[in-house]
Amino acid sequence: MTRCGDTKRIGAALAAMLSAGFAAGASAQDGERITVEGEIIDTWCYYSGVMGGPDAVVGSAHHTCALWCSAGGIPVGLLTPEGEVYMVLKLPGTDQLAGGDTALNLASHTVTAEGLAYERDGLRYILVETVVSDQDITNLNHEDYGVVPGFAIPDDAVEQ
Amino acid sequence: MRQLLTILSLIAAPAVPTAAQDFSDGSEASEWGLFGEQKARFEAAVVDPLCLLAGACDQECAPGRQLALERQADGVLVMPLKNRETVFSGAVADLAPYCGETVEVDGLLIENPEIGATNVYQVQRIRRLSEEEWTETNRFTEVWARENPSVAGEGPWFRRDPRVTAEIEEEGWLGLGPEAEDAFVRDWLGVE
Repeated sequence: MTRCGDTKRIGAALAAMLSAGFAAGASAQDGERITVEGEIIDTWCYYSGVMGGPDAVVGSAHHTCALWCSAGGIPVGLLTPEGEVYMVLKLPGTDQLAGGDTALNLASHTVTAEGLAYERDGLRYILVETVVSDQDITNLNHEDYGVVPGFAIPDDAVEQ
Repeated sequence: MRQLLTILSLIAAPAVPTAAQDFSDGSEASEWGLFGEQKARFEAAVVDPLCLLAGACDQECAPGRQLALERQADGVLVMPLKNRETVFSGAVADLAPYCGETVEVDGLLIENPEIGATNVYQVQRIRRLSEEEWTETNRFTEVWARENPSVAGEGPWFRRDPRVTAEIEEEGWLGLGPEAEDAFVRDWLGVE
């Protein structure tokens, strides 16, 4: 066998490995069943810092903005006390997470969720099958940060 | 041997940290002054992440599902969080017409390891590979107005959205209930 032949054979084997690897990467994975507690957040404001630091763009301070972003179709996330964020792709009974009603109703709430978790390219994702408990809003950070953004509450919000 | 080296380099490619890659070449994205923003223009397939990750492909790209971008250069799954409008709007309305197609996008990647931000994206413009003209990603407000004719009028969509206004009416601006937060809101606005 010639050196060229060896190269071709090795090349073919590597190509097959590569093809198999890409096929595996492209196919669906087995999710990991987890139970996780955290706050339903607006991922854009959290990750981009467009409205302020990560502690200010969660909780009661950011609730109105979280409603706007959820209704506007920005992906919602589940932020754990350890600072891990799961992109929520599904909630019980609905996969309409781009502006859907269920995510809107849970904005800023701390929940315990059970479902299938996935990880790819540095991001975590979760398909929530059950909201085990909904503790409503528990992070009362408006006491520290006021309202974020400041214009969230309009001047005519209360009668004078 | 050249083919072999090419194959080996392809195998090695996924080991390169994605954050180190630079996709800014040719980008005309507007800067937003965001922490960790990087201009990024790349080719990608518009995919349904539920289908891709979990195999839920019976209704691929069904209305209301989040959509993602699978980058052609390295196979990385990029999550678009935002379109180019400055009105609290996501990118699904802009990506949905391209589901299953390969497109070129231009926008801002956000990389901030301190809070786990990686491969998240603001898409500012998009085009099919066969197209010369770019389309700016500002479809959200147009789609919203079409779906909400009963609240047509002045002011931004988020002040008029029936679901948002109903939620605030019931739960308050802070989500704590109108009565519970009344004193804070009055103080915040400087109202006696």
